[in-house]
Amino acid sequence: MRPENYQAVNHPPSHEYELNFGPNHPGIEGNYALKVKLQGDIVIEARADGGYLHRGFEKLMENRLWIQNIALVPRICVPDPVPMEVCYSLAVEDLDDIKVPERAQWLRVLQLELSRIAAHLFTFGGHAATTGMYTPMYWGVTDRDLILDLFEELTGGRVYSIYNLPGGVRQDMPEGFLQRVTQTMDYIDGRLKDYDNLFFTNQIFIRRSKGVGVINQQQALEWGVTGPNLRACGLAFDVRRDDSYLIYDQLDFDIPTEDAGDAWARTLVRRMELVESIRIVRQVVQALPDIKGPVRTPIPNPLAWRVKAGDSYTRVESSKGELAYYIVSNGEEKPYRVHIRGPSSMHAVQVLEKLSVGCRLEDVAQTMFSLDACPPEVDR
Amino acid sequence: MNSAQSQSLNVLLQEIEGIQLTHQNQRRLRADISADALPALLALLRGRAGYVHLSAISCVDWIEDDQFELVYHLWSYETSILISAHIRVARDPGIYLSVFDIYTPAAFFERDIHEMFGLYFEGSPDMSKFILTEWDGPPPMRKDFDSEQWVMDNFTWQDYHPDWLKQIEQQGGGVVKSADSSRKSS
Amino acid sequence: MKSTDLDRIEVNPKTMPKRTNPLANVFDDLVRFCRSRSMFMLHYCTGCGAIELPPAMTSRFDMERLGIQPMVTPRQADILLITGYVSIKTLKRVILTYEQMGSPKYVIGICSCTVNGGMYWQSYATAKKLDEYMPVDLYIAGCMPRPEAVIEGLQQLMDKIKNDQANSWKQYYENYDYYLGNQQKLFGNNWQTPTDVIGEAEIYRLMGPQTLGEHTKILQQVQKPMEPLEMKL
Repeated sequence: MRPENYQAVNHPPSHEYELNFGPNHPGIEGNYALKVKLQGDIVIEARADGGYLHRGFEKLMENRLWIQNIALVPRICVPDPVPMEVCYSLAVEDLDDIKVPERAQWLRVLQLELSRIAAHLFTFGGHAATTGMYTPMYWGVTDRDLILDLFEELTGGRVYSIYNLPGGVRQDMPEGFLQRVTQTMDYIDGRLKDYDNLFFTNQIFIRRSKGVGVINQQQALEWGVTGPNLRACGLAFDVRRDDSYLIYDQLDFDIPTEDAGDAWARTLVRRMELVESIRIVRQVVQALPDIKGPVRTPIPNPLAWRVKAGDSYTRVESSKGELAYYIVSNGEEKPYRVHIRGPSSMHAVQVLEKLSVGCRLEDVAQTMFSLDACPPEVDR
Repeated sequence: MNSAQSQSLNVLLQEIEGIQLTHQNQRRLRADISADALPALLALLRGRAGYVHLSAISCVDWIEDDQFELVYHLWSYETSILISAHIRVARDPGIYLSVFDIYTPAAFFERDIHEMFGLYFEGSPDMSKFILTEWDGPPPMRKDFDSEQWVMDNFTWQDYHPDWLKQIEQQGGGVVKSADSSRKSS
Repeated sequence: MKSTDLDRIEVNPKTMPKRTNPLANVFDDLVRFCRSRSMFMLHYCTGCGAIELPPAMTSRFDMERLGIQPMVTPRQADILLITGYVSIKTLKRVILTYEQMGSPKYVIGICSCTVNGGMYWQSYATAKKLDEYMPVDLYIAGCMPRPEAVIEGLQQLMDKIKNDQANSWKQYYENYDYYLGNQQKLFGNNWQTPTDVIGEAEIYRLMGPQTLGEHTKILQQVQKPMEPLEMKL
């Protein structure tokens, strides 16, 4: 109903208009907004507007014990929570000189790679929906659910597992778990052909995404692009290999790259990463039965645990890019300062603002989904 | 990384006056310098050592020293060493120089730090609010802002109604099965 | 806020008295049955619980078999799902969205954060109790609730609609002063929305003794004609 105080607003005649794209918009990923200025349907200026998911994690973590923060960190990036836990645990281990048992490291890698597969499948789903194809979305989300089932069996939680803690992982895996991992991997491996037929070689997808949001290598380095988005510009950099953590240096995997740097290339790099992740999971499944030993180095009484003073900058490769924690401890029971460098904080703000310019309005969603921006990570 | 690269990096970094280098491990190098020398260090690293990637800028509020610590984390795709350059700036006027002209990603981090700590960066392209547009209190990440007290002053809490549990149990919910039985011990 | 304010709000609203005409009752039952079988859920992911909605919507758990579909515009939606914590910035948008939805409308609070702040209780950025700002029909607890729980909750909402117990949207009109007061406390006294809630309450004949009060007086003082939002580009 029109309120009494309603007044029509007169604007001078112009081809330019401004549009609020989000936060409540099906083309935007999560609760995030872009303000765009359009000329016709071409974007001439774009401005990101975040903070809708801000919870003040960095402040919350200063007020809680080291061990309590484990439950907080996975909430930072909802579609891909495992790297958050692992990165935090690695940083605390680095500060307190805790050695992680080898079996725990392999279990962490298993969980990280499963999480990467799940996150990529979810992104394909969302990306397909922006091109008007809903079947890949249904498939992607449903296949992701199979991995969530594995998580549930391993950790008890579907999405947030809180499985990694400083010193190792919470529990060993249940009987017959590896067999079920193999079954799921076989299934997803077999499904990839269907995904190719339905989505990746689909003319709708190719024509919509080719040439959209092009970044060249020079710009990518300049703008701080990381992860699959950087690899889509032809630079084979991966934190897993070049700043290796856990046991990634013992594993055999390739780093897929593409040269085009557009939305199509970025999605294709993720598609190829799925294959590599499945390869890594298979290697872990093969190696894990031979690695015996405990899964956790006991930490002192967690409720009165004082981590040694110092600072640590720890990076891992999440499915979105380079994720880093900068943790400062002053030897107290709580962290003095935690800074979270989420990969999307670059992609969803500066890079998206620049790439949107010159796009047509319907391609803004394409660009955003192909960058795989994760709004909760930007807002923290 | 080989030792020759590390050696040449060390030689290069000695050009900056008053720099203190600490090798934390093979891939982490800590550099403590004065705030004035930082732009020169960054320009040197970017121009001559291949440090093209600014990973993050972190701010730490050392309220007892009345200082902000700024940490610039830089990564080189060639040497594979991460350099963390630590500087201290006074907390009171809270003004420092932007490094946007050397590293483009700095714009986001500086905007974030300005919002969360109130530290102003001169020359940064955009210092407007991004996340906290609806917030008019003090910069929340400062140590003297007590988040819990603010919450207690501004919000009330739901009372606990144990009757909910009874209702759930009546409907057959709330059953917990121990997961330990199905796990193997190693 | 005093705790007595809460007592004014009925937690479980009673069934409306039946009409005298038996045919009208049959018609009402039919309408409620149809309403409960075709619900459109607003597509707005306010927080982390939204990640469990795609599984609930897609082929594995398949919400559509209950007649529930996502809908992209608030004006055509029936259910507003608040999926998790609402930051203060989001809460403003949520209230705008809620007031734009056509009645009857239902609000479901998913995740523990909507009940009492959840694990972000210390956070300066999130609102704690959702039902201070808008009436909530149903809570689904959990952090985050599984898709089965979401579907179970939606089924309970269907039952409530069928039994004429989901009348929280009427409370918003009847107790507008209370909700507006809480909103003003959080957003400042200049808070206003484009929707004329008091005018709507008059048209729906839902003006109660609590509709007008001290807070609506403040609103009427500060209310000014809506201007296009300032966009700085």
